Amino acid sequence: MIILVLLIFTALAFDFTNGFHDTGNAMATSIATGALKPKTAVLLAGVLNLVGAFLSVEVAVTVTTSVLKVQDSKTGALIPNIDASMGLTIIFAGLIGGILWNLMTWLFGIPSSSSHALFGGLIGAGLAALGAAGVNWSGVTQKVLIPAVAAPLIACLVAGCGTWLVYRITRNVRAKRREEGFRWGQIATASLVALSHGTNDAQKTMGVIALALITTGHLTGDVKENGLPFWIIFSCAVAIGLGTYIGGWRVIRTLGKGLVEIQSPQGFAAEASSAAIILSSSAAGMALSTTHVATGSILGSGVGKPGAEVRWAVAGRMAIAWLITLPAAGLMGALSYWLSHGVKSLTGSDLAGDGLIFVILCALSFFIWWRAQQQKVDSSNVNADWDDSTNSVVPAEVRVPVKETKDKDTAAV
Amino acid sequence: MTYFESILKVLVVGLVLGAGLPAVFAGGLVAYSNGAGGTEADGSVHAPNPVLKYFGIALFVFVGWVILTAVLWITRATIVHHFGFDPFPFMPKK
Repeated sequence: MIILVLLIFTALAFDFTNGFHDTGNAMATSIATGALKPKTAVLLAGVLNLVGAFLSVEVAVTVTTSVLKVQDSKTGALIPNIDASMGLTIIFAGLIGGILWNLMTWLFGIPSSSSHALFGGLIGAGLAALGAAGVNWSGVTQKVLIPAVAAPLIACLVAGCGTWLVYRITRNVRAKRREEGFRWGQIATASLVALSHGTNDAQKTMGVIALALITTGHLTGDVKENGLPFWIIFSCAVAIGLGTYIGGWRVIRTLGKGLVEIQSPQGFAAEASSAAIILSSSAAGMALSTTHVATGSILGSGVGKPGAEVRWAVAGRMAIAWLITLPAAGLMGALSYWLSHGVKSLTGSDLAGDGLIFVILCALSFFIWWRAQQQKVDSSNVNADWDDSTNSVVPAEVRVPVKETKDKDTAAV
Repeated sequence: MTYFESILKVLVVGLVLGAGLPAVFAGGLVAYSNGAGGTEADGSVHAPNPVLKYFGIALFVFVGWVILTAVLWITRATIVHHFGFDPFPFMPKK
């Protein structure tokens, strides 16, 4: 029971990191162009994520079945050769892998996909526990790998076309009026992205919590048919909303300032493209990563505007981070599983193993948070000029004083 | 193969809604801006043109309507589930 409570807490913590890691997907462009004040933007995004989580359509049992073979795909019940303790540890280790990868990429201001981090963690833990047979490889290819390649390309293309059209059509409109008009459009489209983020991503955590409850037998019956208990939906909605409101300023800064110097028509076209693709893909039953779509769109808005500059070095660094997200989160998931499993077989206590990896998670999370505080990026400096020489997410003004006092700290960032 | 079909579908819908609608919005902005009249950057003054202005507003309303319909369509199942009210009573069930 204690393990279950710890696990639900960890799942909500993942949901929280998912929220703040992805605030930028919706709001980075509005913040960068000044259409919304930074604080207003994150508040709006937080509320809309909260609403979106309640609106979600698909019941989330399929999230875990798409990457792992631990559940019966029809009813969501655990398959026979896995006992409850092992099932819980797999989920636990997977979540830890996801959270740690989310926090690390946040520290470096890289908008990597939270869903990939979660999937990677689960796959890694599943591999460690069950070997290759425990992973649903065709599901991984279809639901994770193909969309990962397709999403940024589609988004880049659509946003590129949109940006080009918008600039072409409004080329004779006075600059001031154009800027004003598109700011309104930007707020509307960004809100739509935030809403769709809530409908998509909060679901994933709900699915994980549901799986844990099924594992321990607290949740029985056909989840797909009857829906989830209200408290799961409510707590996931609140976690993702709060996370979004806290705002991953580092990621917002990279998306809004680092990739392209965005103007409001570009921001509008990018968000419109993101919203259209995320919503239509979820209607078509294809789960695209919100992050991949948003990043592709922002890149596209830079490609589509004649004379705009895209910082390909930043884009390249992001692409590398995307490639290693799955294996890196997987490795952390696997390590957590082995650690927990090892301690379990040594002490004979489930709680000792799962408790240990929980404590390690807390310690590492606190450490990463502490590192981020050393060179803080928040609502006050999120729009500071981008430093082209280092392409670091930390504004130059913040980095310099730290360098004087703590020379060794700067090497890592 | 079905997977590439759904990618293609998303691409087409994405182009229509993600690039087409912004273009309509931009068209509305042009019409509204020209219809509202005022002073250009070079100092020349335009008379307001109410027809053009209302056409622009109509385009904005159209874009808003498409977005609202799309969101209602996607969340239809949830709305029916929680409120017992179907926003598209004339359409076949999904």
